[in-house]
Amino acid sequence: MIISIGAIALILTMVLFIQFKTVKETDITAIETMREAELRTELASWKAKYDEIAIKLQDTEDKISNYRNDIENNEKNSELLEQELIETEKYLGYTELKGEGIIVKLDDTDYKQVESSDILSLVNELRLAGAEAISINEERVVSTTEIVNVDTRFIIVNGKRIVAPYEIKAIGDKKYLESAISIKGGYVDEIKAKEITINYTIEDNVVIPKFSGKMSLQNAKVSN
Amino acid sequence: MVYISIIIGCIIGAIIGLNSPIIPYTYSSYLAIAIIAALDTVFGGIASVIKGNFDLKIFLTGFFGNAILSILLTYLGNRLNVDIYLAAIIVFVGRMFTNLAIIRRYYVEKWSKKLDSLAESKKNKAEAKNK
Repeated sequence: MIISIGAIALILTMVLFIQFKTVKETDITAIETMREAELRTELASWKAKYDEIAIKLQDTEDKISNYRNDIENNEKNSELLEQELIETEKYLGYTELKGEGIIVKLDDTDYKQVESSDILSLVNELRLAGAEAISINEERVVSTTEIVNVDTRFIIVNGKRIVAPYEIKAIGDKKYLESAISIKGGYVDEIKAKEITINYTIEDNVVIPKFSGKMSLQNAKVSN
Repeated sequence: MVYISIIIGCIIGAIIGLNSPIIPYTYSSYLAIAIIAALDTVFGGIASVIKGNFDLKIFLTGFFGNAILSILLTYLGNRLNVDIYLAAIIVFVGRMFTNLAIIRRYYVEKWSKKLDSLAESKKNKAEAKNK
Protein backbone atom coordinates (compact mmCIF):
# COMPACT_ATOMS: atom_id res chain seq x y z
CA MET A 1 0.00 0.00 0.00
CA ILE A 2 2.78 2.37 0.92
CA ILE A 3 4.64 1.60 -2.27
CA SER A 4 1.62 1.98 -4.48
CA ILE A 5 0.70 5.34 -2.94
CA GLY A 6 4.31 6.51 -3.38
CA ALA A 7 4.26 5.31 -7.00
CA ILE A 8 1.06 7.22 -7.64
CA ALA A 9 2.58 10.35 -6.11
CA LEU A 10 5.61 9.82 -8.36
CA ILE A 11 3.54 9.42 -11.51
CA LEU A 12 1.36 12.39 -10.67
CA THR A 13 4.23 14.80 -10.01
CA MET A 14 6.16 13.52 -13.02
CA VAL A 15 3.24 14.15 -15.36
CA LEU A 16 2.58 17.49 -13.68
CA PHE A 17 6.13 18.69 -14.26
CA ILE A 18 6.16 17.45 -17.83
CA GLN A 19 3.01 19.45 -18.42
CA PHE A 20 4.52 22.52 -16.72
CA LYS A 21 7.53 22.32 -18.97
CA THR A 22 5.44 21.82 -22.08
CA VAL A 23 3.24 24.79 -21.31
CA LYS A 24 6.25 26.93 -20.49
CA GLU A 25 8.12 26.11 -23.68
CA THR A 26 5.15 26.53 -26.01
CA ASP A 27 3.93 29.82 -24.68
CA ILE A 28 2.48 31.15 -27.89
CA THR A 29 -0.85 32.87 -27.42
CA ALA A 30 -1.83 32.48 -31.05
CA ILE A 31 -1.40 28.73 -30.95
CA GLU A 32 -3.16 28.43 -27.62
CA THR A 33 -6.40 29.87 -28.94
CA MET A 34 -6.41 27.57 -31.95
CA ARG A 35 -7.53 24.05 -32.25
CA GLU A 36 -5.46 21.25 -33.58
CA ALA A 37 -7.61 20.86 -36.67
CA GLU A 38 -7.42 24.56 -37.47
CA LEU A 39 -3.69 24.47 -37.04
CA ARG A 40 -3.54 21.51 -39.35
CA THR A 41 -5.49 23.21 -42.12
CA GLU A 42 -3.39 26.33 -41.61
CA LEU A 43 -0.24 24.28 -41.84
CA ALA A 44 -1.48 22.50 -44.96
CA SER A 45 -2.30 25.78 -46.69
CA TRP A 46 1.08 27.20 -45.76
CA LYS A 47 2.75 24.09 -47.06
CA ALA A 48 0.86 24.37 -50.34
CA LYS A 49 1.90 28.01 -50.62
CA TYR A 50 5.45 27.10 -49.79
CA ASP A 51 5.51 24.41 -52.48
CA GLU A 52 4.10 26.83 -55.03
CA ILE A 53 6.67 29.44 -54.18
CA ALA A 54 9.44 26.86 -54.22
CA ILE A 55 8.43 25.85 -57.75
CA LYS A 56 8.38 29.49 -58.80
CA LEU A 57 11.77 30.01 -57.25
CA GLN A 58 13.10 27.00 -59.12
CA ASP A 59 11.73 28.36 -62.39
CA THR A 60 13.23 31.74 -61.78
CA GLU A 61 16.58 30.25 -60.90
CA ASP A 62 16.53 28.17 -64.06
CA LYS A 63 15.77 31.26 -66.09
CA ILE A 64 18.56 33.17 -64.41
CA SER A 65 21.05 30.41 -65.09
CA ASN A 66 19.90 30.29 -68.72
CA TYR A 67 20.41 34.01 -69.05
CA ARG A 68 23.83 33.67 -67.45
CA ASN A 69 24.76 30.99 -69.94
CA ASP A 70 23.54 33.16 -72.77
CA ILE A 71 25.57 36.08 -71.53
CA GLU A 72 28.67 33.92 -71.25
CA ASN A 73 28.15 32.57 -74.74
CA ASN A 74 27.63 36.08 -76.03
CA GLU A 75 30.82 37.19 -74.38
CA LYS A 76 32.72 34.32 -75.93
CA ASN A 77 31.15 35.00 -79.28
CA SER A 78 31.88 38.68 -79.12
CA GLU A 79 35.48 37.96 -78.16
CA LEU A 80 35.84 35.63 -81.10
CA LEU A 81 34.13 38.14 -83.35
CA GLU A 82 36.44 40.87 -82.18
CA GLN A 83 39.49 38.74 -82.86
CA GLU A 84 38.14 37.88 -86.27
CA LEU A 85 37.42 41.52 -86.90
CA ILE A 86 40.96 42.52 -85.98
CA GLU A 87 42.31 39.79 -88.22
CA THR A 88 40.10 40.86 -91.09
CA GLU A 89 40.99 44.50 -90.63
CA LYS A 90 44.65 43.59 -90.85
CA TYR A 91 44.06 41.92 -94.18
CA LEU A 92 41.82 44.66 -95.47
CA GLY A 93 44.26 47.37 -94.51
CA TYR A 94 42.19 49.11 -91.90
CA THR A 95 44.96 48.95 -89.31
CA GLU A 96 48.40 50.48 -89.16
CA LEU A 97 51.02 47.76 -89.42
CA LYS A 98 54.70 47.59 -88.67
CA GLY A 99 57.45 45.06 -89.13
CA GLU A 100 60.64 44.35 -91.02
CA GLY A 101 60.63 45.26 -94.66
CA ILE A 102 62.00 47.43 -97.41
CA ILE A 103 61.65 51.07 -98.45
CA VAL A 104 62.13 51.84 -102.15
CA LYS A 105 62.50 55.40 -103.40
CA LEU A 106 61.87 56.33 -107.02
CA ASP A 107 62.41 59.81 -108.32
CA ASP A 108 62.15 61.63 -111.62
CA THR A 109 65.26 62.66 -113.40
CA ASP A 110 65.57 65.67 -115.66
CA TYR A 111 64.54 63.81 -118.75
CA LYS A 112 62.53 60.92 -117.45
CA GLN A 113 59.49 60.69 -115.26
CA VAL A 114 58.28 57.81 -113.15
CA GLU A 115 55.17 56.26 -114.64
CA SER A 116 52.41 54.34 -112.96
CA SER A 117 53.50 51.17 -114.70
CA ASP A 118 56.87 51.39 -112.95
CA ILE A 119 55.20 51.58 -109.58
CA LEU A 120 52.71 48.88 -110.56
CA SER A 121 55.41 46.46 -111.57
CA LEU A 122 57.32 47.24 -108.38
CA VAL A 123 54.20 46.45 -106.33
CA ASN A 124 53.79 43.21 -108.29
CA GLU A 125 57.40 42.26 -107.69
CA LEU A 126 57.09 42.96 -103.99
CA ARG A 127 53.90 40.92 -103.79
CA LEU A 128 55.57 38.08 -105.56
CA ALA A 129 58.28 38.21 -102.95
CA GLY A 130 55.67 37.82 -100.21
CA ALA A 131 55.02 41.40 -99.13
CA GLU A 132 52.26 41.49 -96.58
CA ALA A 133 51.46 45.18 -96.70
CA ILE A 134 52.48 47.86 -99.18
CA SER A 135 52.08 51.61 -99.25
CA ILE A 136 52.90 54.26 -101.85
CA ASN A 137 53.63 57.69 -100.43
CA GLU A 138 51.75 56.78 -97.25
CA GLU A 139 48.80 55.47 -99.28
CA ARG A 140 48.04 51.91 -98.34
CA VAL A 141 47.72 49.51 -101.25
CA VAL A 142 44.54 47.48 -100.76
CA SER A 143 42.36 45.31 -102.97
CA THR A 144 40.61 48.29 -104.55
CA THR A 145 43.72 50.44 -104.97
CA GLU A 146 44.29 51.83 -108.44
CA ILE A 147 47.65 53.06 -109.70
CA VAL A 148 47.09 55.12 -112.82
CA ASN A 149 48.65 58.01 -114.66
CA VAL A 150 46.38 61.00 -114.96
CA ASP A 151 48.81 63.01 -117.01
CA THR A 152 52.53 63.11 -117.01
CA ARG A 153 52.76 65.01 -113.78
CA PHE A 154 51.00 62.85 -111.24
CA ILE A 155 49.79 59.41 -110.45
CA ILE A 156 46.55 58.61 -108.71
CA VAL A 157 46.63 56.08 -105.90
CA ASN A 158 43.48 55.43 -103.85
CA GLY A 159 41.88 58.39 -105.55
CA LYS A 160 44.61 60.74 -104.40
CA ARG A 161 47.19 62.50 -106.47
CA ILE A 162 50.74 61.72 -105.55
CA VAL A 163 53.87 63.24 -107.01
CA ALA A 164 57.53 62.41 -107.16
CA PRO A 165 59.54 61.44 -105.22
CA TYR A 166 57.74 58.18 -104.70
CA GLU A 167 58.38 56.13 -101.61
CA ILE A 168 57.14 52.57 -101.67
CA LYS A 169 57.15 50.73 -98.36
CA ALA A 170 56.59 47.01 -97.96
CA ILE A 171 56.46 44.72 -94.95
CA GLY A 172 57.64 41.17 -95.47
CA ASP A 173 60.70 39.00 -95.25
CA LYS A 174 63.36 41.63 -95.89
CA LYS A 175 65.82 39.21 -97.60
CA TYR A 176 63.20 37.98 -100.04
CA LEU A 177 62.00 41.50 -100.76
CA GLU A 178 65.50 42.77 -101.38
CA SER A 179 66.59 39.90 -103.53
CA ALA A 180 63.36 40.04 -105.55
CA ILE A 181 64.08 43.53 -106.79
CA SER A 182 67.87 43.56 -106.76
CA ILE A 183 68.37 40.34 -108.69
CA LYS A 184 70.53 40.75 -111.77
CA GLY A 185 68.36 41.85 -114.66
CA GLY A 186 65.60 42.42 -112.19
CA TYR A 187 63.50 45.43 -111.33
CA VAL A 188 66.32 47.68 -110.12
CA ASP A 189 68.35 47.07 -113.24
CA GLU A 190 65.33 47.70 -115.45
CA ILE A 191 64.54 51.00 -113.74
CA LYS A 192 68.14 52.08 -113.84
CA ALA A 193 68.16 51.33 -117.56
CA LYS A 194 65.19 53.70 -117.85
CA GLU A 195 67.34 56.33 -116.17
CA ILE A 196 65.05 56.72 -113.20
CA THR A 197 66.63 57.28 -109.83
CA ILE A 198 66.11 54.36 -107.54
CA ASN A 199 67.48 53.49 -104.14
CA TYR A 200 66.25 51.23 -101.44
CA THR A 201 66.90 50.61 -97.79
CA ILE A 202 66.16 47.59 -95.69
CA GLU A 203 64.72 48.35 -92.30
CA ASP A 204 63.63 46.39 -89.27
CA ASN A 205 60.79 48.69 -88.35
CA VAL A 206 58.78 49.77 -91.36
CA VAL A 207 55.50 51.47 -90.43
CA ILE A 208 52.68 51.28 -92.98
CA PRO A 209 49.64 53.49 -92.39
CA LYS A 210 46.11 52.22 -92.53
CA PHE A 211 43.79 52.61 -95.49
CA SER A 212 42.03 55.91 -94.94
CA GLY A 213 39.28 55.53 -97.54
CA LYS A 214 36.10 53.54 -97.44
CA MET A 215 35.27 50.41 -99.33
CA SER A 216 31.69 49.85 -100.38
CA LEU A 217 30.30 47.26 -102.71
CA GLN A 218 27.26 48.45 -104.62
CA ASN A 219 26.90 46.05 -107.51
CA ALA A 220 28.52 42.99 -106.06
CA LYS A 221 26.38 40.66 -103.99
CA VAL A 222 27.20 37.48 -102.20
CA SER A 223 26.42 34.53 -104.45
CA ASN A 224 25.51 31.22 -103.05
CA MET B 1 5.40 5.97 6.67
CA VAL B 2 2.70 6.86 4.17
CA TYR B 3 3.73 10.52 4.26
CA ILE B 4 7.41 9.63 3.76
CA SER B 5 6.60 7.50 0.73
CA ILE B 6 4.44 10.31 -0.72
CA ILE B 7 7.22 12.89 -0.25
CA ILE B 8 9.88 10.61 -1.75
CA GLY B 9 7.59 9.82 -4.68
CA CYS B 10 6.92 13.51 -5.24
CA ILE B 11 10.63 14.41 -5.22
CA ILE B 12 11.63 11.61 -7.57
CA GLY B 13 8.69 12.38 -9.84
CA ALA B 14 9.65 16.07 -9.98
CA ILE B 15 13.24 15.21 -10.86
CA ILE B 16 12.17 12.79 -13.61
CA GLY B 17 9.58 15.24 -14.92
CA LEU B 18 12.07 18.10 -15.10
CA ASN B 19 14.58 16.00 -17.01
CA SER B 20 12.16 14.34 -19.39
CA PRO B 21 11.55 15.71 -22.91
CA ILE B 22 8.52 17.88 -23.50
CA ILE B 23 5.55 16.38 -25.27
CA PRO B 24 4.06 17.86 -28.47
CA TYR B 25 1.66 20.72 -27.87
CA THR B 26 -1.18 18.80 -29.53
CA TYR B 27 -1.15 16.19 -26.78
CA SER B 28 -0.65 18.55 -23.88
CA SER B 29 -4.39 19.17 -23.57
CA TYR B 30 -4.96 15.44 -23.11
CA LEU B 31 -2.25 15.34 -20.48
CA ALA B 32 -3.78 18.31 -18.68
CA ILE B 33 -7.14 16.55 -18.48
CA ALA B 34 -5.43 13.40 -17.20
CA ILE B 35 -3.69 15.45 -14.52
CA ILE B 36 -6.98 17.02 -13.42
CA ALA B 37 -8.58 13.56 -13.21
CA ALA B 38 -5.65 12.18 -11.22
CA LEU B 39 -5.72 15.13 -8.83
CA ASP B 40 -9.44 14.59 -8.35
CA THR B 41 -8.80 10.96 -7.49
CA VAL B 42 -6.07 11.92 -5.02
CA PHE B 43 -8.32 14.36 -3.20
CA GLY B 44 -11.12 11.82 -3.27
CA GLY B 45 -8.72 9.29 -1.73
CA ILE B 46 -7.80 11.70 1.06
CA ALA B 47 -11.46 12.41 1.70
CA SER B 48 -12.23 8.69 1.85
CA VAL B 49 -9.36 8.17 4.30
CA ILE B 50 -10.99 10.78 6.50
CA LYS B 51 -14.36 9.14 6.11
CA GLY B 52 -12.75 5.82 6.90
CA ASN B 53 -13.83 3.93 3.79
CA PHE B 54 -10.52 4.10 1.87
CA ASP B 55 -9.94 1.16 -0.49
CA LEU B 56 -6.62 0.90 -2.30
CA LYS B 57 -8.11 -0.99 -5.25
CA ILE B 58 -10.74 1.66 -5.82
CA PHE B 59 -8.12 4.38 -5.43
CA LEU B 60 -5.74 2.83 -7.98
CA THR B 61 -8.43 2.01 -10.52
CA GLY B 62 -9.87 5.47 -10.06
CA PHE B 63 -6.49 7.09 -10.55
CA PHE B 64 -5.69 5.37 -13.82
CA GLY B 65 -9.27 4.80 -14.97
CA ASN B 66 -10.30 8.41 -14.58
CA ALA B 67 -7.15 9.64 -16.32
CA ILE B 68 -7.56 7.30 -19.29
CA LEU B 69 -11.30 7.88 -19.51
CA SER B 70 -10.87 11.64 -19.49
CA ILE B 71 -8.24 11.39 -22.23
CA LEU B 72 -10.58 9.22 -24.32
CA LEU B 73 -13.45 11.62 -23.77
CA THR B 74 -11.31 14.57 -24.81
CA TYR B 75 -10.26 12.70 -27.94
CA LEU B 76 -13.86 11.89 -28.72
CA GLY B 77 -14.74 15.54 -28.19
CA ASN B 78 -12.06 16.56 -30.64
CA ARG B 79 -13.42 14.09 -33.19
CA LEU B 80 -16.98 15.32 -32.66
CA ASN B 81 -15.88 18.97 -32.49
CA VAL B 82 -17.47 19.29 -29.04
CA ASP B 83 -15.46 20.57 -26.10
CA ILE B 84 -16.11 17.56 -23.88
CA TYR B 85 -12.99 18.31 -21.87
CA LEU B 86 -14.81 21.34 -20.46
CA ALA B 87 -17.44 19.01 -18.97
CA ALA B 88 -14.68 16.78 -17.61
CA ILE B 89 -12.95 19.76 -16.02
CA ILE B 90 -16.20 20.97 -14.47
CA VAL B 91 -16.98 17.56 -13.03
CA PHE B 92 -13.49 16.87 -11.75
CA VAL B 93 -12.86 20.30 -10.33
CA GLY B 94 -16.33 20.39 -8.77
CA ARG B 95 -15.62 17.06 -7.09
CA MET B 96 -12.24 18.34 -6.05
CA PHE B 97 -13.88 21.26 -4.30
CA THR B 98 -16.36 18.94 -2.59
CA ASN B 99 -13.59 16.70 -1.38
CA LEU B 100 -11.51 19.68 -0.28
CA ALA B 101 -14.52 20.91 1.66
CA ILE B 102 -14.82 17.54 3.39
CA ILE B 103 -11.11 17.60 4.24
CA ARG B 104 -11.28 21.19 5.44
CA ARG B 105 -14.33 20.52 7.57
CA TYR B 106 -12.68 17.49 9.13
CA TYR B 107 -9.51 19.33 10.08
CA VAL B 108 -11.32 22.45 11.27
CA GLU B 109 -13.53 20.34 13.54
CA LYS B 110 -10.51 18.42 14.75
CA TRP B 111 -8.58 21.58 15.59
CA SER B 112 -11.50 23.38 17.16
CA LYS B 113 -12.12 20.31 19.37
CA LYS B 114 -8.45 20.36 20.34
CA LEU B 115 -8.60 24.06 21.14
CA ASP B 116 -11.77 23.56 23.12
CA SER B 117 -10.26 20.71 25.10
CA LEU B 118 -7.13 22.78 25.70
CA ALA B 119 -9.16 25.72 26.99
CA GLU B 120 -11.23 23.38 29.16
CA SER B 121 -8.19 21.72 30.66
CA LYS B 122 -6.71 25.18 31.44
CA LYS B 123 -9.96 26.17 33.09
CA ASN B 124 -9.97 23.00 35.08
CA LYS B 125 -6.37 23.59 36.15
CA ALA B 126 -7.16 27.14 37.19
CA GLU B 127 -10.21 25.99 39.13
CA ALA B 128 -8.12 23.36 40.83
CA LYS B 129 -5.56 26.00 41.83
CA ASN B 130 -8.23 28.27 43.16
CA LYS B 131 -9.61 25.49 45.24
